[in-house]
Amino acid sequence: MSQNKVPITRLGKFFGDEDFRLDISIGEEWLHGDMNFTLVLYRVDRKKTKTDDVYGETVKDGVKFLPPVEFKGFVQILAPENKNLGNSKLNQVEPGNLKVGVYQKQLDELEIDINFGDYIGYYESESRVRYYTVTNDGRVVSDNKHNYAGTRPFYRSIIASAVVDNEFRGL
Amino acid sequence: MPLPKKVKKNISLTEPKILLERRRELLEKINRDGTYLPKSILHSDLDGGFLDFVKEDLKLQVDGKVVPTVDILITTQNWAQFTQTWSFQNQDKNIEPPFVTVVRIPEVKYGTNPSTMYTIPNRRQFFYAQVPTWDGQRGGLDIYKIPQPVPVDITFQVKIVCNRMRELNTFNKIILEKFSSRQAYTVIKGHYIPIVMGNISDESVMDIEKRKYYIQSYEFTMLGFLIDENEFTVSPAVSRLVQVLEVDTKVTKRNPKSPIENQTSELTVQFLSGVTTIHQLFNYTTNLTVGSTKNVDSYDVFINNEYYGSDISEIQINTNDTLKITIVKDDNTKDGIIELESKLL
Repeated sequence: MSQNKVPITRLGKFFGDEDFRLDISIGEEWLHGDMNFTLVLYRVDRKKTKTDDVYGETVKDGVKFLPPVEFKGFVQILAPENKNLGNSKLNQVEPGNLKVGVYQKQLDELEIDINFGDYIGYYESESRVRYYTVTNDGRVVSDNKHNYAGTRPFYRSIIASAVVDNEFRGL
Repeated sequence: MPLPKKVKKNISLTEPKILLERRRELLEKINRDGTYLPKSILHSDLDGGFLDFVKEDLKLQVDGKVVPTVDILITTQNWAQFTQTWSFQNQDKNIEPPFVTVVRIPEVKYGTNPSTMYTIPNRRQFFYAQVPTWDGQRGGLDIYKIPQPVPVDITFQVKIVCNRMRELNTFNKIILEKFSSRQAYTVIKGHYIPIVMGNISDESVMDIEKRKYYIQSYEFTMLGFLIDENEFTVSPAVSRLVQVLEVDTKVTKRNPKSPIENQTSELTVQFLSGVTTIHQLFNYTTNLTVGSTKNVDSYDVFINNEYYGSDISEIQINTNDTLKITIVKDDNTKDGIIELESKLL
C-alpha cells in the first residue's frame, strides 16, 4: 500500500525547504567533519536471537547480531555515579550514560535504525572501548527540540547505559 | 521436580546413634583435635562459619559455571579495597554479576535460642570435665569449669546480584529447599549452630535509563552462642580446705556423775602346799589392800619382777602390771592364804 505524503509548507515564508537542507548540511559538516565522533552500532538480530520461552531472556550465547555499522553522532557521556547496588552496602562507581544525537538523514542513508537493546561501542581511547545498551532509542521526536524551528524532525537523541562484560564485549 | 522428602538419597551404612550415645558423639566432636575444653567461639567464628555455609551449602551453578561468592563479609570499610583485588571484575574494577554476597547486620542482639537464654544468672562456672594430671611424681585431677554460653542472634543478608531471572530462580530453589523446614544447621568449630530463614526481599534496580540488574536479598538469623576461652577455669581437684568451726560459748552445767556401786571386790590368794610364789596379770588399774592372812609368816611383793615391798598393806597396780607375791609359811605342809581387797580406779 502506498503511503500518502503531505508536503510541509508551514513557515515557508521565512524558512523554506532549501533553508532546512542547508542548515542540516552545515550541521553535518560540523559534526561529521569537525567533531567526528565515531560510534559502532551492534544491532541485535531479533529473528535469529534465541530467547527463553517464559521470560524472553536470551539464553547462553543466544544473542545474534547484524553486521556492525559505524555512524557519526554528537556524543555526551554523563558523569559516573558512586552509589550502592540497590539497598546493599556494595558501593561502586557506575559509569554514566551515553547520550548520542544523530541526524535522521544519516540513519536513512545508512539504512539502519537504532532500537531498544541494541549495543553501541564507543572508543574512549585507542585501546579502551566501552559498550552501551540502548535504553531510550529516541524514536519519539515530536517535540519542538527535535523539530528544526517547528519544521520537521531532523535528529534523534539516543540514551544508552553501560553494560558489563559478561553481557556484551563486542563481536 | 524434587524428590519427595521420604525418599532417601543417601543411605548410611552405620546405624545413627541416638540419645546418650549421640550426646557422647557430639561431645567427642566438640573436643576433637584440641584440649578437653570446648573450642572458643566468638563473633568472627560465627561470621566465618556463616560465610562457609553460604559458599558450600548454597552453592549456585548456572549454565555449568559456579556463581562466585564474595569471599568476605561486606562491611563499611573493606568493600572498596576488596573490589580492587577480586578476580571477577570488569574494566571499571566493578564486580561483575552474577555473584553472591553476604552482608552482616552490624548489631548483634541477645539470643533467642530457648535452650540457652536466661537460665543461669551471674556467669556461674559449671563443671565440664575432670582431667587426669601427672607432674612426674604425683597423679591427680584437674577440674575444668566453664560458664554457660551467651546466646546471640546474628542477622545476615545473602544477596544475589545478577542479570537474568533464571539465576534468581535457581538460587531461590536452592535456598527454599535447604530451608524447607525453616531452619538449617551448620557446624562451627564442632558446635551445631541453627540458622533460621527470615524475609526475602527484592532490591532490583529497574530505572528505565540505568543499567538494570536483579538484587534479591535473603535474610537469615543465626542462633549462635559465644564461648570465650578466657572465662574457662582450671583448678586442681584436691585443694586446701579452710574449715571454720562455730561453737556456742554459753557455759552449761553438767549433771553429777552417779557413784559406781560395788567398786570393791574381794580376792583370795591361795598358796597350796609346797607353793610359795604366785604371778597374776592385771588388765586394769586398781589398789589392793591386804586383809587377813592365814599360815603366812611374811611376804614380799614384786611388780613386773621389781621389788615393791615386804609385808605392806597396800599395793598399787597399773594396767598390764604383773603382780608377784612370795610368802614364807608357818607350816609348809599346809596351804597359805592372803585376803586382798581390790578397789577399781
